[in-house]
Amino acid sequence: MIRQISSKVGGLKNLIFIGALLVLAIVLLLDIYLVDQILEPLEYFYLFFAIIAIFYGIYPLYANRRLTKYYWERIKRHRLSVFGLAFIVFLIAVALIGPLLTQDPTKVNFQEKSLPPVGFTIQQSVYDLKAEEFVTRETPGTWQHPLGTDDKGRDMLAMLVSGARVSLQVGLLATLIAILIGTIMGVVSAYFGGWVDMALMRFTDVMMTFPFFLLLVFIIFIFGPSLVFIILAIGLTGWTGTARLVRSDALSLRTREFIMASKSLGASDTRIVFRHLIPNVISSVIVIATLSIPGVILAEAALSFIGLGDPTVTSWGVVLNAGQRSLDTAWWVAVEPGIMLFLTVLAFNFLGDGIRDAFDPRSQL
Amino acid sequence: MSNNILEVKNLKTYFFTGRGVVKAVDDISFSLKKGENLCLVGESGCGKTATALSILRLVDSPPGRIVSGEILYHGEDLLPSSSARLRQIRGNRIAMIFQDPQSSLNPVFTVGNQIAEQIKLHLGLKHKKTIERTLHLMEQVGIPRARERMKDYPHQFSGGMRQRVMIAAALSCDPEILIADEPTTALDTTIKAQILDIFRDLKQKRNMSILFITHDLGTVAGIADRIVVMYGGRMAEAGTALDIFDHPQHPYTQGLISCLPDISTRRDRLTPIPGMIPSLINPPEGCIFNPRCERRIPICSREKPPEIVISGEHLVACHLYSQSASPEDRIESSKNAKR
Amino acid sequence: MKRGGLQGYIIKRLIYAALITFGVVTITFILLRVGPSSPADKYLANMSARTQDPAQVIAAVEARYGLDKPIYEQYVDYVVNLARGDWGWSFSTSLPVIKLIQRHWVYSFQLILLSMLFSASLGILIGVYSAIKQYTRTDYLATLFSFIGISIPNFWLGIMLILVFSVQLGWFKTYYDTGLPLFSLANLKALILPVITLGTGMMAGYTRYARSATLDNLRKDFVRTARAKGLPERVVIGKHVFRNAILPIITIIMFDLSGVVFGGAYLTEIIFGIPGLGRISFNAIFAGDYPVVVTITLIGALVVLFTNLATDIVYTWLDPRIRYD
Repeated sequence: MIRQISSKVGGLKNLIFIGALLVLAIVLLLDIYLVDQILEPLEYFYLFFAIIAIFYGIYPLYANRRLTKYYWERIKRHRLSVFGLAFIVFLIAVALIGPLLTQDPTKVNFQEKSLPPVGFTIQQSVYDLKAEEFVTRETPGTWQHPLGTDDKGRDMLAMLVSGARVSLQVGLLATLIAILIGTIMGVVSAYFGGWVDMALMRFTDVMMTFPFFLLLVFIIFIFGPSLVFIILAIGLTGWTGTARLVRSDALSLRTREFIMASKSLGASDTRIVFRHLIPNVISSVIVIATLSIPGVILAEAALSFIGLGDPTVTSWGVVLNAGQRSLDTAWWVAVEPGIMLFLTVLAFNFLGDGIRDAFDPRSQL
Repeated sequence: MSNNILEVKNLKTYFFTGRGVVKAVDDISFSLKKGENLCLVGESGCGKTATALSILRLVDSPPGRIVSGEILYHGEDLLPSSSARLRQIRGNRIAMIFQDPQSSLNPVFTVGNQIAEQIKLHLGLKHKKTIERTLHLMEQVGIPRARERMKDYPHQFSGGMRQRVMIAAALSCDPEILIADEPTTALDTTIKAQILDIFRDLKQKRNMSILFITHDLGTVAGIADRIVVMYGGRMAEAGTALDIFDHPQHPYTQGLISCLPDISTRRDRLTPIPGMIPSLINPPEGCIFNPRCERRIPICSREKPPEIVISGEHLVACHLYSQSASPEDRIESSKNAKR
Repeated sequence: MKRGGLQGYIIKRLIYAALITFGVVTITFILLRVGPSSPADKYLANMSARTQDPAQVIAAVEARYGLDKPIYEQYVDYVVNLARGDWGWSFSTSLPVIKLIQRHWVYSFQLILLSMLFSASLGILIGVYSAIKQYTRTDYLATLFSFIGISIPNFWLGIMLILVFSVQLGWFKTYYDTGLPLFSLANLKALILPVITLGTGMMAGYTRYARSATLDNLRKDFVRTARAKGLPERVVIGKHVFRNAILPIITIIMFDLSGVVFGGAYLTEIIFGIPGLGRISFNAIFAGDYPVVVTITLIGALVVLFTNLATDIVYTWLDPRIRYD
């Protein structure tokens, strides 16, 4: 019986895919109507996109091992991309394990405010109770707060680790949303052509006319600054570039013979879209995705920085905000998160560049 | 000898690429007299374009480089000349036109602008005179309604017209030598004929020396005074048009000529030359044509053939005509040949 | 035929732009009405401390703003008002929104204009140069620099610049002095750090575009023709290559406006305290002053639309191949 169902759906793989989605939907329904909070909304997002990523991203890599190896060889040629990848892996490790190893990033401790990182010593002006006046005291950094503390005594290392987590979460999720929307719009638009294409593209044009950041801020203003909304907002505003690129890619594929052959064999439209167009467009999509992640991370950081981020979450942008307040007393609070942001963005840019060159059939490495 | 306005001696131009050194031009020599039309003939990839580009040092400099040789223009060697001197000559004394007029003309400037550019550069005429001269040139090459069309852009012209524009530009400073790199290859047959007429005209009316590069022997037959047949970056045979067409000596030349469809004789099939052009990175030992040659003898795969004078200006680079070929070799080779 | 071609194209584009404007306005309206808090709530948040009866306030506000009318009527009112120039009233500053914008747009404009001039000129110069000298050390340095420039978060760059040049070195004030006359040298000096902040990210991108556009054109045949004419190299590059490369460069620069430039300007204004439209909008968000936020978002979109239109037309004028289709 399983075999019957799976052949209807197009294979065992598709069966498992749909099954996983169904399970998730059931849990979601239970959550809403019966039990209290099995999973947080954010976690539903993760699972949903994890399922999509596994079936459309990771599984194809596994199935075509030779192809994967070939691309990996090409990526390896770009040393910078490999560094980028290494840094990202490091960051993922930090995000996963870090919170277990560090202190509470939200713990405020005014006794230990504005401590410098290890190895630095600053002059602090402290009120000496005994002498009843302000005394300058030399304060060295300690290993208890290896990266120092901010002006409210929060441990920098803990905050940066928390920030890594947030940035990666937002980066991956929001990018996935944007890529999903953009790819579907692009492929549908290219495949169906005619007025579907026109309508979708006009809509894309309208969305592209809004300056990205202004629209983002506007949406957060209306809907409120919670992490879920931030991720949704970034995803819902950032798909336009992807849609355009995917459409042009798909357009060039559409007229190629294998599509026409499929059609003449009687394949339905959905089938062609899903089984033929999407897999071929995926290589561009992967490149676009990797290169979009930095923009998304910066968008979230910018939002937190100006105060429109989720107040319950410590992200790098929030730390940077604190940093601007204490530029003259605690410069490290501004420098450290910025360096992390910079390196992360740089890493993804390098990796994306390397992947793009690796996938480009015309470049000979 | 003193009639030679251009002499190319032992020119070697190599391209240093990631995959190896491409010996595009591997020791070529020829000369051009005043008022004569010399055709450089050969298949694609035989080095004729590279040779032409080398004369004006227009070879793409990484990866190409003129490795050795001399290019004597009125006795002056152009290869070591300064770029300033070279720029004096380019467009002015020696002009060049290229194969694809569509891509060789700048799409964002008017045709008149592009013709006048050289005039302004080399002749320094005042504006009104420049325009007059431009119009005159356009009329000479047969562009109708020149005054209006001067303000048009290249994409508004047809292929043949574009080539005329290029020719007009090349002639603008009255050069002594015109190098034409496959000027008719990209054109339709009827247009081809018209353009060739222009070239014939140039020779007759202006006594212009033309170095004409082509792969099409039919074109050559129409206008050449002398011909140099190139293969694999080297000279195969050289001589007057009559020499080459009536008494071809080199097996390659013979093959080329027998490839030509001939309306007068009845034949069921055309006879191609078997094999493929050689790799210029790893050329075969000895005579570069030898793997495809039906008349080869043992020495052909060992040593490069010397240049042998058959008569007057008729030269051939083939062992069959040298001392090294013994009578037995020659008999053997005739047997192998299917003629 | 020539005139008709260009004019016809412009007309087509204008109609298209009008359609897009409608789309933009509509989407903004939808977003506003779809949000969890109605405009009345925002106003209420402000007024809650001062009134006894929230229900009465809500009713009054709704009547005032026509929120009790059916959606369709609201939309029509909204569009008509925008067209007539009634862009609402700003609660937090007690000014009509238009007046507010009139007062502050100059600051944004000068920041953006100066940054674009700075980054476009430097960027194009470096890009073209590194394309000509491809594979040399200068080229690799320039490429590396553009990578770094794109990757530095521009708000962090601003803070770092303030840290180094204002806090440590004291060369500049940490906050923008609004009292300075606009066309003075002092004003220019105060804008140096903001322009560098906004311009660096932009410049990195421009360098890349300029380099690739130049590289593409360097390979083309007409460059060889130009050299064969005996033209000096600087003319070959400066006239022939440049004139062809400038087309895609300008296009990309102008179409980039809606991403890097406006977002960056928004942040730069906030960091340096420049009272431009970005900062005004930002203040309005925290004051719950939604008419200002809506209007500035719309203005952003309209400016982008206008620049796109202008760029399209300029491009058509510059590239003779397009006109006559």
